[in-house]
Amino acid sequence: MTEQAVSNDDRDASITDPILEVRNATVKFGMDRGESRVLDDVSIDIERNEILGVVGESGSGKSMFASAFLDAIVDPGTLSGEISYYPDSGGEVDVLGLTKSELNQFRWEEIAMVFQGAMSSFNPVRKINTHFVETLTAHGDTVSEGMERARTILSDLYMDPERVLRSYPHELSGGMKQRVLIALSLVLEPEVLVMDEPTAALDLLMQRSIISLIEDIKEKYDLTIVFITHDLPLVVDLADRIGVLYAFEFIEIGPANELLEEAAHPYTRALLKSTPNLTAPVDEMRPIEGSAPDPVNEISGCSYHSRCPMADQRCEVEDPGPYIVDTDHDVHCHYWEEASEAVPMPNDGSGTETGSPDSDQPISVQTPETRPRWAGENPVLSLDDVEVHFEATQDEGLLNLFTDPETVRAVDGISFDIYENDVVVLVGESGCGKTTLGKAAVGLERPTAGRVEYRGQDVWEAKETGGDIPFEDIRQSLQIVHQDPGNALNSYRKVFSSLEEPLVRWYDDLDGNDRRQRILSMLKHVGMSPPEDYIERYPHQLSGGEQQRVALIRAMLMNPDVILADEPVSALDVSLRVEMMDLMLELQDMFDTSYLFISHDLANARYITEKTDGLIGVVYLGKLVEIGTPERIINDPQHPYTRALCWATPELLTETDRTDDSPMRKIDIPDPTDPPSGCRYHTRCPEARDVCREVEPEMVDSGTDETHQRAACFRAQENHEYWTSESIVED
Amino acid sequence: MDWRVRRIGQALFTVWGVITISFLLVRLMPGNPMSAMIVELEEQGISPTQARYLVELRLNIDPEEPIPIAYVNYVGSMIQGDLGHSMYYDRPVVEVLATALPWTLFVLSWAAFISFFLGITLGALMAYWEGGRLDLGLTGYATVMGSVPFYVLAILLLVFLGYRYGIFPTGGRQPTGVEPGFNWTYIRGVIHHAALPVISMLVVSGAASLSMRGNSIRVLGEDYLRVARLRGLPDSTIAIQYVARNAILPMYTGLMISIGSMFGGSIILEEVFAYRGVGYYMMSAVNQRDYPLMLGAFTIITIAVVIALLIADLTYSKIDPRAGGGKSEGL
Repeated sequence: MTEQAVSNDDRDASITDPILEVRNATVKFGMDRGESRVLDDVSIDIERNEILGVVGESGSGKSMFASAFLDAIVDPGTLSGEISYYPDSGGEVDVLGLTKSELNQFRWEEIAMVFQGAMSSFNPVRKINTHFVETLTAHGDTVSEGMERARTILSDLYMDPERVLRSYPHELSGGMKQRVLIALSLVLEPEVLVMDEPTAALDLLMQRSIISLIEDIKEKYDLTIVFITHDLPLVVDLADRIGVLYAFEFIEIGPANELLEEAAHPYTRALLKSTPNLTAPVDEMRPIEGSAPDPVNEISGCSYHSRCPMADQRCEVEDPGPYIVDTDHDVHCHYWEEASEAVPMPNDGSGTETGSPDSDQPISVQTPETRPRWAGENPVLSLDDVEVHFEATQDEGLLNLFTDPETVRAVDGISFDIYENDVVVLVGESGCGKTTLGKAAVGLERPTAGRVEYRGQDVWEAKETGGDIPFEDIRQSLQIVHQDPGNALNSYRKVFSSLEEPLVRWYDDLDGNDRRQRILSMLKHVGMSPPEDYIERYPHQLSGGEQQRVALIRAMLMNPDVILADEPVSALDVSLRVEMMDLMLELQDMFDTSYLFISHDLANARYITEKTDGLIGVVYLGKLVEIGTPERIINDPQHPYTRALCWATPELLTETDRTDDSPMRKIDIPDPTDPPSGCRYHTRCPEARDVCREVEPEMVDSGTDETHQRAACFRAQENHEYWTSESIVED
Repeated sequence: MDWRVRRIGQALFTVWGVITISFLLVRLMPGNPMSAMIVELEEQGISPTQARYLVELRLNIDPEEPIPIAYVNYVGSMIQGDLGHSMYYDRPVVEVLATALPWTLFVLSWAAFISFFLGITLGALMAYWEGGRLDLGLTGYATVMGSVPFYVLAILLLVFLGYRYGIFPTGGRQPTGVEPGFNWTYIRGVIHHAALPVISMLVVSGAASLSMRGNSIRVLGEDYLRVARLRGLPDSTIAIQYVARNAILPMYTGLMISIGSMFGGSIILEEVFAYRGVGYYMMSAVNQRDYPLMLGAFTIITIAVVIALLIADLTYSKIDPRAGGGKSEGL
């Protein structure tokens, strides 16, 4: 404990002008199983006008940390410790000592917060404007002045203030809601902004766009920002300093770049390695073994010792006090000096890894046998010019009863094939139609035009008039794994009943015992042991990763030919994603299936396709704009939209290697009821020229003999009139 | 097609279906009302031709016409508001029901709206003190009373408050000996007469408070409530604009549906209290085998319920902006 006190003083030395001082903040919850500490004696200083990134997996106490600044821990949690706030005007505010009305003034005027759930942070029956007005009146501000500020902030966030203020929350897209929430938190001109996973529910493109906006906003409004996330690469870009939370306490705090290049804690290093990205060799990405400790159990010694490769006797007994790596870099590990050897990084300055055969592999050319695409085999699933159009209802008013509803062209003429043991990943931002396309591909959504064929048999024809292959068989062969495993499993059925269902339905010859054996062995295979224990559980008694495994097994037990996996890893923590994808690939080998993956994350797409020689297809507003092997898509994207997706993928790069300018002219995706003419991307494309506005580009081959790549962009064609056409990019 | 057009079409279809069913009941069923009425008139010594003529006149159905033509004529007169001629009261059905309908609506709307607002208030308070004494007590009360049939309660109320203590009149719908008009004595008398039927419906309607309680508790857990509190909004704004407003939404359609079921209940209730509303006349029509009146009341009640539900659906988007104009978010 004395060691702790000394180091606190040391830490003060590197912080010259703190705006917030947190001392021994502890949050306790009384639970049936005992008292649980979800924030354990955390002390930290926050420098005025810095951006502090706080990184932690789910269940590491990071939301508690965020709420502590506003003394807003939800009941029945109790916060103890000391939080001091030093406003610009001088003086000191003891946050935990404020009365209720003082606290009501303090919150939002001095420290405001942006939540993860922007989707649900607004009252659904009140207009956005009302949200701003009521906040201003509640704090006794002049409404007209305040709304003027709100309008400025909204336009700073690249939105049309008048339109947004007139809207109801549900009329805005997820990305817009999140930005409105940021604007709402800034309307009272706070000095500190605490952001708790503000981008987690958004696709990467929007995440990245918001991140770059936050930087501008911070400069303009003179803010101090605490940015909390589970996504280390995301925050590396933004933050000045990064603190890593593990098991309810900080285990390492240091400048962002230093943490990236010379992380001193084995957990930080493992976290960096487990994150899918575009540059590190796929074989270097490793999941972190084991799981984080339970908050109820009092941990003796280092909380990471059970998962740490370097742990020894001392780690189990002695709490590692902060060791000072640098003036502003602390680490809670007894053996931090040896961590770089114990947990090597692919991009350690040493250079030993870059030349190793491992990292060459993903770029190496595969032999044609493993690429059925060129072997002239028949595809399992074939989509031919598939269109899915929805009718959208329009605005209220009893008078326009007889106007034609608008059509949303969710999927507008897409063709591709999936072969045996193949993997195709569809990437694109939210609202581009990739999920609808996926559903159409596995026969869950009827295309309004075009054909979906399973081994040459039209799926919908089989359903209606019967065909060579009965529809029952097709249904069994095309399965789906959903994004949110918690919702995909019936919460009132035990794991065993959920898994037994497909076997009972499709395998009459199995008796109860066979079914049980089969389920047990599958559970064991995916690492859920002892399986006898797991089959008796209900879904809420499983972790997110375990739920997703059950959902995956359930699909696999049908012995399908193609599985549509709709964002199967985005609901999981970054550190679990690699593990889940590895498992999916292993099961693919075992069951001989193909995957149609849907993802907004190019890094995940790259990981899974590089390991299987699959294809990445880029979807934009109902059109397939580019498709190809991962090395082509990532290293030499032809379509500017693909380039934007690459830009949006967080990279573990240091500041100097990064490009900060967005390759898009607009943040928001156009209205799908009224898609742009010609090339649909021309409204956001930095390379758009006059011809893009009128003519729709066709898919052209730009791959080589060994690689596959097709893109729908004029820039991929050498002698096209595009090159002589006039640019429409103003500025 | 616009959903509103479809919805109105559905309502019209339901009404048409009811009219058709009533026609088929009268015309095609063995031992149908028509022949029953003819026999009845013949028994009273009226000649068969005469009886047949009278029946045609009263039911708007000519048995000599081929069924399709008779059907068209029947539907045609229904659309024109001609529901036939009551045999027992010897007046047009429309006239009988037109004088009765306002009284039924009077009792029903009071019962519906008082129970709704009481339910909302109590439910909100129960949610606020979740697990407290009020919550437990009212939950128990609502559960017990929800399972008591209202007519049993109506008879008890009648026995005690009507006959034994004489606080409320035991029957009728307006005070005797007072000139109907817009004066306080008359209005008080009307309210006095309606009180018992309204109370007996009110006491058993615990459902509103229970669903309000559940909805409020759900809303209390929403993120937007937490954000609103952090934004420092006053408690009254949070209670009314945030919690209550959102908790009421799912109950709105339920209110309209409950009006429908209350119509059904009014048949027995009005009989118990001898309250001359649509239900009362329908009951007496059944007893008197007054088929035209019975069918007329049946049709009117159906149309009233269909209209109530139609209004609920068409106006829902006014109170919940998410309904109706659902843009392209679901992609």
